[in-house]
Amino acid sequence: MIEKLPAKKMVITGDYAAAYGALLCDVDVVAAYPITPQTLIVEEFSTFVNDGITDAEFIMVESEHSAMSACIAAQAAGARTFTATSSQGLALMHEMLFVASALRLPVVMAVVNRTLAAPIGIWCEHNDSMPERDSGWIQMSCEDNQEVLDMIIMAYKIGENKDVLLPVMPCLDAFILSHTVEPVEAPSSDEVAEFLPKYEPQAILDPDKPMAIGTFTPPEYIQELRYQTHVAMEKAKDVIKKVTKEFASKFGRDYHGLIEEYRCDDADVVLMTIGTVTGTAREVVDELRQKGKKVGLIKLRFYRPFPAEEIRKIAENVEAFGVYDRAISYGSGGPLFIETRHALYGLDLPVLNFLAGLGGRDVVKGDVEKMYEILLKAKEEKPKEEIYWIGTRGVEI
Amino acid sequence: MYEIRFHGRGGQGGRMAAEAYALAAFLEGKYAVSFPIFGAERRGAPVKAFTRVDDKKIRIKTQIYQPDYVVVLDETLIETEDVLEGLKEDGMVIINTPKKPEEVELSKPVKCATVDATSIALEILGRPITNTAILGAIAKATGKVSIESIEKAIIEKFGARLGKEAGEKNALAARTAYEKTLVGVAKGGKEFKPRKKWLPTVEEMPIGGAIATMQTEAGLVGIGSFIENKTGDWRTFKPIINKEKCIGCKLCWFYCPEGCISMQDGKATVNYDYCKGCGICANECPTKAIKMEREVRA
Ligand code: SF4
Ligand code: SF4
Repeated sequence: MIEKLPAKKMVITGDYAAAYGALLCDVDVVAAYPITPQTLIVEEFSTFVNDGITDAEFIMVESEHSAMSACIAAQAAGARTFTATSSQGLALMHEMLFVASALRLPVVMAVVNRTLAAPIGIWCEHNDSMPERDSGWIQMSCEDNQEVLDMIIMAYKIGENKDVLLPVMPCLDAFILSHTVEPVEAPSSDEVAEFLPKYEPQAILDPDKPMAIGTFTPPEYIQELRYQTHVAMEKAKDVIKKVTKEFASKFGRDYHGLIEEYRCDDADVVLMTIGTVTGTAREVVDELRQKGKKVGLIKLRFYRPFPAEEIRKIAENVEAFGVYDRAISYGSGGPLFIETRHALYGLDLPVLNFLAGLGGRDVVKGDVEKMYEILLKAKEEKPKEEIYWIGTRGVEI
Repeated sequence: MYEIRFHGRGGQGGRMAAEAYALAAFLEGKYAVSFPIFGAERRGAPVKAFTRVDDKKIRIKTQIYQPDYVVVLDETLIETEDVLEGLKEDGMVIINTPKKPEEVELSKPVKCATVDATSIALEILGRPITNTAILGAIAKATGKVSIESIEKAIIEKFGARLGKEAGEKNALAARTAYEKTLVGVAKGGKEFKPRKKWLPTVEEMPIGGAIATMQTEAGLVGIGSFIENKTGDWRTFKPIINKEKCIGCKLCWFYCPEGCISMQDGKATVNYDYCKGCGICANECPTKAIKMEREVRA
């Protein structure tokens, strides 16, 4: 139970937005271990508990592995749970992530994207969350702090949907969101309660009605379970679209489902971005449009489930397609690039990959302009390269 | 190529037998592979192992469904399941039993070899471990590999683990079994209720595999369903409790892996429906009140 909270406008960090979002969702259990730059989320939430705003159980654990384990157990006992982590912390949870999804427990976890060592860094890179691609978690990225707060609320609604029942991982870029304050509108707790009904678990661990979950299971059964989870992830696509629509009509902010198109209608070339670079890219698109260049932008919100169909529909009408990645799969390309090429299989157009901002390097307007420049050129003549390391010293592009 | 399927019980060494047979074939210049099916590691549970032998490299990696030979290390197994399942038309079954081939009842009349490997093992090894004796019987019954190669393989494989003397004793068990093996034809006509297995479709599978106790066509599944699994069928040795000697210390109750010992009037009592005959209770009893007796079934 939480205290009644009025709708209000606040100037807050991304971390605060995540913690406040979880508070509004009236979570029952929070188990987390602090790690920069996620620490504020844990601190803020523990303050809510301390101040009596919520009677949620706050479990202090000795590691991220335990944080996820505690959330899984609490969720299996029928609680709505929340946690948050980052980088090495997420890597330490790896094993338990697969347990949460396979047991179909809709835990929600905010992940602050921070470079995964080595070398040690605390700044933004997506090489922590992207390797969790196959963990069965719904994974999405936020563009600003408003989206962080809104997405936590939607994450519960999506994950707890009977057709889905999967854990959800909203991601926010380290520092660029986590430690940046900006105005955020928070709905009232009553409004959120109307939008997000009480969590109704599909199966509860209850000593009076014994049940086994996740026990030793021979090969006769596991493949069917894998298929079930895959179908749930596929079904999540429609649920995400429905939930974002419902959210838009209730709260007035439309996130357009799995992707958002920005000025793609008559575009010759399109760039797809993820996370905070999207905001900067919107600026660049507007400026290029003013100069008469027909450029468009796709904001990729969900990495899993991957919106292949939606992306393909747009790509069918353009002459060159660019994919921005803030992580590299060594020996191949950026994770989103690999995924996009798969989605666009059979289409005859150049699909290019732009890597920038690894390790938290600032991605500036000039970098994005460079991406569009390369794309516009690719529409005229066949490009020599497919993967461009933007702003990498000693690497020619 | 020919294929052998071994039926045994967890802890009886069926896998070692299958591997030692492969080694014997290898020693004769053949290519041989052997592998077990790993299930829940549980002493006494029915387990299977396989061996394939050929003149050239074996590439196939599947389990064996149509064996040329079936080897049964534990005679209780022929009571509860149709060990002949999938056996080739002219295939043969080799069984550890004191019975003559003609006295053995199976689902079909088939070529059958029998040997009382348990008695041989008790006599030579002092323990009812039959996996080496049975190898001698296979050599005799099939003629596919010589008893000398079997002996060599046993000495190499078991000797390496248990020491030279034990290796030689086990080789002797095989040789003795080789000499005592009878070959004939088993009786057919025994009926087996086809065992139903719960194989839910994706739709029928509880979400996330969360299973409470559930009644299905194949019987009870989930929590508590083991009540239908009468592990008493697994038993070849039966614990007999001497109530005079029992001091009611409950150690047997504590250690019994099947939870089938209860205390009545301060004395231990065994529920034979579930006692699998592992002998742990007898081993633990401080007053030696429990004796394991060989159980010969009708
Ligand atoms: S009663 Fe003794 S022999 Fe039977 S299962 Fe228990 S421990 Fe094993
Ligand atoms: S361990 Fe022996 S003495 Fe103790 S309760 Fe069991 S049978 Fe009786």
